[in-house]
Parts: sequence; C-alpha cells; structure tokens
Amino acid sequence: MLSRIAESLYWIGRYVERAEDTARILDVHLQRILADPWTSEDAACRSLLGVMGKPVEDGPFTSGQVIEVLGLDQRSPSSVVGALAAARENARGCREIISSDVWECLNATYHGLARAPRQVESQGVHAFFRWVRDRSAVMAGLTDATMSRDEGWLFLVLGRNIERVDMTARLLRTHERAGGSIPSWLTLLRSSGAWETFLRTYRGALDDRHAAEFLLLDRLFPRSVFAALTVAESCLTDLEPDPGRAGVATDAQRIVGRARTGLEFRGPDDLINDLGPVLAGLEKTCSQVNDAVSRRYFRQTSAVNWSSGALA
Amino acid sequence: MADLFEEYRLGPGWDEMFAELGVPRASYEALHATLQPLSSAELGVRAEVLARAFLDQGITFALKGVERPFPLDIVPRIIAAAEWRGVEVGVAQRIRALEAFLADVYGAGQVLADGVVPRRIIATSAHYLRAAAGITPPNGVRVHVAGVDLIRDEQGTFRVLEDNVRIPSGVSYVMENRRAMAQVLPEVFAATRILPVESYPAMLLTALRAAAPAGISDPAVVVLSPGVYNSAYFEHAMIAREMGVELVEGRDLVCVGNAVAMRTTAGEQRVDVIYRRIDDDFLDPVHFRADSVIGVAGLLNAARAGRVTIANAVGNGVADDKLLYTYVPELIRYYLNEEPLLPNVDTYRLDEPGVLEHVLDRLDELVLKPVDGAGGAGIVIGSQAMRHELDAVREKIVANPRGWIAQREVKLSMVPTLIGDRLRGRHVDLRPFAVNDGEKIWVLPGGLTRVALPEGELVVNSSQGGGSKDTWVLASPTSPVGEPVPIPVAGPVPSAPAAPPDPGPGQAPAEEQQQQQQ
Amino acid sequence: MTSLVDSWRLKVQHKSGFEYAGTVTSSYNEARMWPRNDARQAVLDAKIEVWPPARTYQYEDYWGTVVTAFDVHAGHDKLTVTASSTVETLPPGDLLSGGLDWGFDTDRWYEFLLPTRRTRLNDELTAIVAELRARHDNPQDAAMAVCEFVRSEVAYVPGATGVQSDALHAWEQRKGVCQDLSHLAAGMLRALGLPARYVSGYLHPKPSAEIGESVVGQSHAWVEWWAGRWTSYDPTNGVPIGHRHVLVGRGREYGDVPPLKGIYAGPKSTGQGVEVTITRLR
Repeated sequence: MLSRIAESLYWIGRYVERAEDTARILDVHLQRILADPWTSEDAACRSLLGVMGKPVEDGPFTSGQVIEVLGLDQRSPSSVVGALAAARENARGCREIISSDVWECLNATYHGLARAPRQVESQGVHAFFRWVRDRSAVMAGLTDATMSRDEGWLFLVLGRNIERVDMTARLLRTHERAGGSIPSWLTLLRSSGAWETFLRTYRGALDDRHAAEFLLLDRLFPRSVFAALTVAESCLTDLEPDPGRAGVATDAQRIVGRARTGLEFRGPDDLINDLGPVLAGLEKTCSQVNDAVSRRYFRQTSAVNWSSGALA
Repeated sequence: MADLFEEYRLGPGWDEMFAELGVPRASYEALHATLQPLSSAELGVRAEVLARAFLDQGITFALKGVERPFPLDIVPRIIAAAEWRGVEVGVAQRIRALEAFLADVYGAGQVLADGVVPRRIIATSAHYLRAAAGITPPNGVRVHVAGVDLIRDEQGTFRVLEDNVRIPSGVSYVMENRRAMAQVLPEVFAATRILPVESYPAMLLTALRAAAPAGISDPAVVVLSPGVYNSAYFEHAMIAREMGVELVEGRDLVCVGNAVAMRTTAGEQRVDVIYRRIDDDFLDPVHFRADSVIGVAGLLNAARAGRVTIANAVGNGVADDKLLYTYVPELIRYYLNEEPLLPNVDTYRLDEPGVLEHVLDRLDELVLKPVDGAGGAGIVIGSQAMRHELDAVREKIVANPRGWIAQREVKLSMVPTLIGDRLRGRHVDLRPFAVNDGEKIWVLPGGLTRVALPEGELVVNSSQGGGSKDTWVLASPTSPVGEPVPIPVAGPVPSAPAAPPDPGPGQAPAEEQQQQQQ
Repeated sequence: MTSLVDSWRLKVQHKSGFEYAGTVTSSYNEARMWPRNDARQAVLDAKIEVWPPARTYQYEDYWGTVVTAFDVHAGHDKLTVTASSTVETLPPGDLLSGGLDWGFDTDRWYEFLLPTRRTRLNDELTAIVAELRARHDNPQDAAMAVCEFVRSEVAYVPGATGVQSDALHAWEQRKGVCQDLSHLAAGMLRALGLPARYVSGYLHPKPSAEIGESVVGQSHAWVEWWAGRWTSYDPTNGVPIGHRHVLVGRGREYGDVPPLKGIYAGPKSTGQGVEVTITRLR
C-alpha cells in the first residue's frame, strides 16, 4: 500500500474518533455546567481548554466560546467540525481504497457540517453532538461492514484506537482536574455510552474509583483505554507479518506494549492514586506511537521543492 | 398536465430528435414515447434524484476553485448504429494518422522534408518538446488515449472540431452518466438496445499493459494524478479504481538511476507504466518546470532509457495544436493514403499570406480560437461578441497570427434539454474516446456529449459552465450488444432453491400460520 | 595526408560543480560536456566522472549533443563533475566570401531563425542589422560584418555576466563574456535572415600552443550561420573555428546546451566552480 494512502487512512481513523470523542467531552462539560450551579464557568472552561491543548491566556471564557473553539472552528483539526472536514479531506485522496460507502458517509457528513451552526442555534448543541456521534457510528459500522481486513483497514483502526486512548485519557483528566464529583462521573459515563455496562458491572457501586477504573482498565468495554491499546497493539502486530525472533519487531509495538502492560500489571488502586501522571503518560505514549508509526510506514509522503542550477 | 415539449422550437442548427416539430427521428422514437406522457413535475423529480446521486457520490467538477456537480441532463442523446459506424472509423483513422505524424516529427521528420507540413508550424509550436525527441515508446504507441471533439453541422454531418491527444478528460462522466441514467429512465433502457460503456477501464488497462517496457511480463501500471485539488481528480480516482491499479501522486514516486518506484508501507515497488494525468510542463522538473511539486524528477530520462512508459507520450501536444489541425486531412492522405472520413470545420490559417487580411475584414462572422487554448478558454464567437471584444481579439491576432485560427461559425446540432420545467433545444458537441493498444484502435461507443445550457450558447466546455448528456449508441439490429458472450461448455448449473433466512425468536410461528393459510 | 600533419591533439579537462549551505538529499543533473564527432574534429577518448559517485546514463539529445545524466541520492554538500577528453582538431577551412546571394532556402533551418530568450534584439539592434544588410550585397559579407560589429562594440570581460544573462543585457552594458557575444551575434545573424546556431565548446587560449604544456582554458561559445552552407566563426576572438576550438554542442542558445544543469532538494547553493585545463598533446 502507498505510504501516502496508509497515512491518510490512519488519519481518517484518528479524525473521526477525535470528532466523536470531542463531541462527547463537550457534551459532558456542558451538562456539568448546567447541572452544577456551583461550578465556575470560567474555571471549567479553562480546565477543558487546557486539557485539550488549547491556549488559555485570554479570558474569561464562556461555554459558548468553548463550543466555538472545540466544536465549530472549521480551520482547526482539533475541533469537531474541523476534524470531520479533515477526515473527509484525507478520504478524498484515497477514495479508490476506502469503500464507496465509507466515502459517501464521510462526504455526506461533510456536507452536513455546513448546517452545524444553524443546528446548534435551533436545536441546541446536544442535538448536534448527538448527530456527530451518530455519523461516527455509521462510519465505524461501514468501515467494519464494507472494508476488507487488509493493510488499509489496519491503519484506519490503528489510528482510531490511538486517538481513542489519547481522548479517553483527556476525558478522564477533565474530571481529575475538576475534582470528580459523583454527578460528574455519572455524566461522564453516560456520555461514553458506558453507563449501563458500568451499572451491570459494578452493580450500582458508583464512586469515582470505580468509574476511573472502568474507563481505564475494563477489558470488555471497547472504549476503555486498555481495550483501545490492545486493539492498537494487535493492528501493529498484523502489520508486521514476519516477526523477528528476539522480542517484538518495531518501535511502535514496543511503545504500545509497554503502555498496555503498565495498565495491565499495576494494581487498580495504585493506578487510581497516581491518576494524573498515569494519564499524562498515556498522552505521551500516543504521541510517541504516532512518531514511530510515521517513521516506519509513512516515509517521505510530502512533495519535494526543487531548486535549479546551471553552470558554464 | 403540462406538455414537456410545449413551445419547443427547432433550430438554429440540426435538431437531433426532431426532423420536424412533433415527429421524432427513428432513433429517438422510444425515448420520445417515454417522455411525451410525463408531466414536467415527474421529470423534475427524476432530475432531482439524478442531481442528488451525483452530489452524494462526489461526482464533481471544480470550476474556479469551487467544487460543483457537473450537471447531467436527464434527456439522453442518441446516435443510430450506422451513424456511429462512420464516427468510429473516422476517429480511428485520425488517430492512426496522428500516431504516424508524432513518430515522424520526433524522429526523422520526413513529413517536414516533404513539405506536407511546413517546418515553421512545428518550430513555433509551444507543445513541440525537443526534450521528447529520441524517446521511443516500446510498442510504438504515443496516443494511448485520445478524445476527438466532434460537432454536427447544419446538415447533420459530423465534423472534427479539435483533437485531444495529450490528456483528454471526461470519460468518467460517460460511465457515471450511464449508471445514473439507468436508474432514472429504466423504461427507456428496457425498450432500447444501447451499446454498453463499462468496458472502458478494461480496454485502457489492456492498452497500458501492452505499452510496458520490453521484457516485463506482468507490468505494474499506475495512474499519476496531480492530486485531489485537480478538477479531474474524481476521474483519476475512478479510472484507477476500475482498472484495479494504484492512484499515485508525484510525491509517491521516486526515480533512481532511471528506475521508477512507488513508496509503499513495505518499501519501494517498481512501476512500469504510468498513465499520467499531469501536463507535460509539470511532469519532470529536470526537463520542464523546475518549480513543479507534482511531477517526478528523472521521469523523462527513465522513459528515454526504456525503463518506464509514459502514457500518453510526452510532447503529443504538437499534434493537437489547432493550427496543425488544419493539416490533419493532408496527414491522413500522406501517411495512410486514404481520404479523410470525418471532415474538419472550415478553418483559416492566419499565418498564410493574404488570409489574415481576409479574416480581419470579417471577424464578426467567424469564430476565433487561440491555437493552444484548452477547455474553451479564449474563444471569441464573432457574431455574439461585443465591439470591444472584437477589437481586443483583433489586436491579439495581429500581434500573433500564429497563435490563432479562425473558423466558420457552425450552428452546432441541438438536443432537447430540461430547462426549468420544459424541454428546450440546446447545442451539443461530442467527445468520443479512443484507446490504442498498438494492435487496434478501439472507440468507446458514444462518448461525452456536452451541452451548453444557456440559450443559443455555442461554447459547451465544462470549464465554461456547461453540462453533459448520456450518449447512447444504438446497437445495430443485426449485431449482438457488446462483446460476444463466451458460450459455456456445459449447460448452466441449475441453482438449488434457496432457504429463507433463519428466523429470529417469535418469528417462526407466524411463518407456519401463513403456510397453513395457503 | 597533409591534414594529419596539420591537426592538433587537445586534451581537455573540465571540472564543474556546486557547493551547498548544507546537506542536499537528492539531486538530478545533466552534463553536456562530451565533445562530439564532427566534420572538423574526432573524439579519441572521453569520460565523465561524478562525485559523489553516481551511475551515469548517456543519450544524444534533439540537437545531437551527448548528454550525461545522473542522479545522486546520498546526502552531500558538494557536487563535482569532471569531464576529460582527447580530441583531434583541424585548422580552419576557407571562409567563403561572396559568391552567394540572398535567395537560398532557409526552411530546413527554420528554428534557427527564431529569436529566443537570450538572443532577442531591441529596436536599436534591429535597425543596426538592417543598415549592415543594406551595406553588403551578399550574405557572407553581411554576416562577417555582424560579427565584426559585435566584437568592436561589446568588450569581452571575463566574469561580466552570469549564465542566465542575455544578449540585450550585454549590449546595454557593452560588455560580456563569450556566451553573450555569441548570443548577440546569433540574434543579429537571425535578424539578417540567416539561420544561426549557438555553439558551446572549449578554446585553447594560445594560438602558438606548446606541446605538452597545460594551460588554463575556458568553456567557450561561438556561432555558425547558414548561407547555403554552414560557416563557423568565433565572434569573441574574431577568428574562424580551427585547431584551438573543441566543439561540444549546438543549439539555438545557451539554454539548449548548458554544460551542467540540474535540480536538487536541499539548502541554497553557496558556491560554484568551473575549471578547464587544456593541454596540446600534438
């Protein structure tokens, strides 16, 4: 597979996941501000922007601004709208690789984005976020249903899961920073679609430990950090069909494997007590994996600018 | 119920559907019979479905930087079998002559020595690329794909308007148009035998593989595109997909020691044949524009060394220069010893003595075209131009007579087209596509019909905001449709009756009840 | 055979190259430094070496010049091409004078009649050409007059211009190198109605060269024109082409026969060097 295409697929996976997760994070944030009259809006907004890697010098911030920056900014690939547009832009360059269904889904979503500001105005942000999640689900369903499990698919799923690790870590950090009151864990689990599973698993024992443990370590819930790392690891393994005899073959595999075992073999209590550094470490892991994957599979995918010279 | 053809007028120009008002020509009878009873609302709904399908599939055309659908009119254009035969043979004849000409001007130059084409025409052609001299295509083919633009004059005669032997585009619309039309006008498809167009990618791939460097038994073919921002990107992707080959950009390819390879996740992989959709100027920064970031450095010398085949060949533009066009009938006689089957449009060569004065006296009756303008750019139609436009073009022509040709204004033929909620006659042209595999020249039945949507408009190019029509070539009553179907040795295996899908819980009893009711 | 006795044998070493401000990762080049066999010279031996080492590919281009193409993909901050050749050259033939009139056919050489970027003239020069033509009743004399005019009006000053310079630039400053004088002469010859070629090659600087003595030579340029047959002339030195000239390539102008040109990916070029050493062997 062409390096450039592999890179595009990887980023389609990342951007779609990013759009979805950012929508979830924003949703939780807004619900919290609504539900808890004692929360300082400015502080909560600063905290959220900080976790999402946005500058927080100016202020004070309102939720409207946060929605603008993280939700509707067309030029930023880390906003919901921008990420979906970037996903579609990447897909344009590899239409002949992704299935027509996947392309049409991304393209239709992109055309739908033009309506986003109006939708936010008329039906509220929640409806818009709901729509984004639905579109992401359709996209995920179509990739699973219509793409063969070849290299391209592996890169897409790899991207999706790296991004998921990163975003789930950020989601947890917003709560870690906000002090993690019980009602806020509740909205958080709800927004992750994990509420029912969580209840069944912990039989109603709702506390922040269990919630963090669930989102971080649950082996069965697909949005947990552990599950995402495991999928990413298996994608990387499948991309290297011929492993050497000594250990694992690639840098990326080593980095992901180390992160996964770090979660797997450290006790939950230990992890939760040390949550801040653990989450920061996960974000770093993601950026390291990204570099390692780029180095190995996406060599030189940008155009060369030539200079000319002539001599007598 | 409003009649779609209400207030339909004939002319100016040959009307392809009607010999006289209300009386369709034989080839259009089935279509007319289908359209006649439809209300404009019904047709409007179908047109809406058509437009929506195009937008969702991303079948677009970038015009002035804005991505927009290339509008497909719902009324197809129909060409009878016998008429098509003439077009097909005529187009192939032209390609054969142009191939011979290209081999000659980039080689011995006999046609110049014999004075059939003056040397000055070649020496002054912007597209005569001396860097391409000495590159010998492995199977002798330089024009792997051609698009020959035809029009029908006031008498219905097909005439050649221009040849496109560089990187003709539009074939994807031919295929997409057919797929879309089959969905919105199924009843006409059922009543009409239309030659299929879907074999184009296979024919092209065959021709490209046949053009591979000597000694390569299983050539790797790629489609080289300038990238997603190119107006024809949709087509590049489609052709690559339907041929089952990689769609690459310049940055995916690297040329080391005349061997071309693409960069993949598993390392570098050899490339043998490049169907390029990048202009010569941008193809290889070593020989052409050094500031090109979409080309592949070293490509031209790799082709010269016989390590890779570039299709279409570099430098073909010398053959579709519009001044050279005026010599094509001579070239057909010279190389093939045949009479041209498709006439040109009457054209003046402004660089010949006395002609310029004659033309300048009647600019307002003629069509003025820059010799290397593509996509209808720069064309001035004298009868429709304002005084100051004529003055401006006069100035340009006087400054550079070699840069222009003048043609008689032909009222292009017309086909009913949905405008608002009525059908109206609109001018059309036709671009058939020909593929040369070195053994034979195959012409895709039909081609791209472009339609000028504004009333009376004669410039049909998509880059000038035109639309397209599906183009149906009717099967001859005596021949089967398409390629002969191989007859299986044994009879068809009778298919076993299929079991219904497994029912879910609570579904099975209902089925039993139904059976009991039978 | 007297011509054997009269011929010279010249050994030419031409070193040319670029230096860069940092590492160049990739570079594609074409050298036109390989003398060609011709009516008045025979190439006995030639080779081209490239540093960093690269495989070279040779072909003959549209103009008949031998081109050596190569690409380098190892990182480098300096690129050097060294061409060495041994060529046997003949003394000048007769300069045809008079006898021809203007009525010859030029169609065969049409492309050598057209102005190019570096040989374009202005109105002043066009008027001068018209005047020179009016003063001579045969093309050969007019052509010689053009060459004389160029030599007398434009001073030969080494280093006065670079390779991208053109005839008008040299004319305006009334000085230039052999490339400029040849462009100007070619442009004016074309304006006379004579097909004219720009020739690139080498010149042994000393008319009375010692055998065995290596001297610093130079890349050189001169012109040829068609007046029923081709005549070669060196407008810079005001001499016909002879023993001292080694021919590499012919074209419409410098752009058709650059000794070394290429493209590279990397930081800007900080230096370039051209050295030509010529030794008369016989």
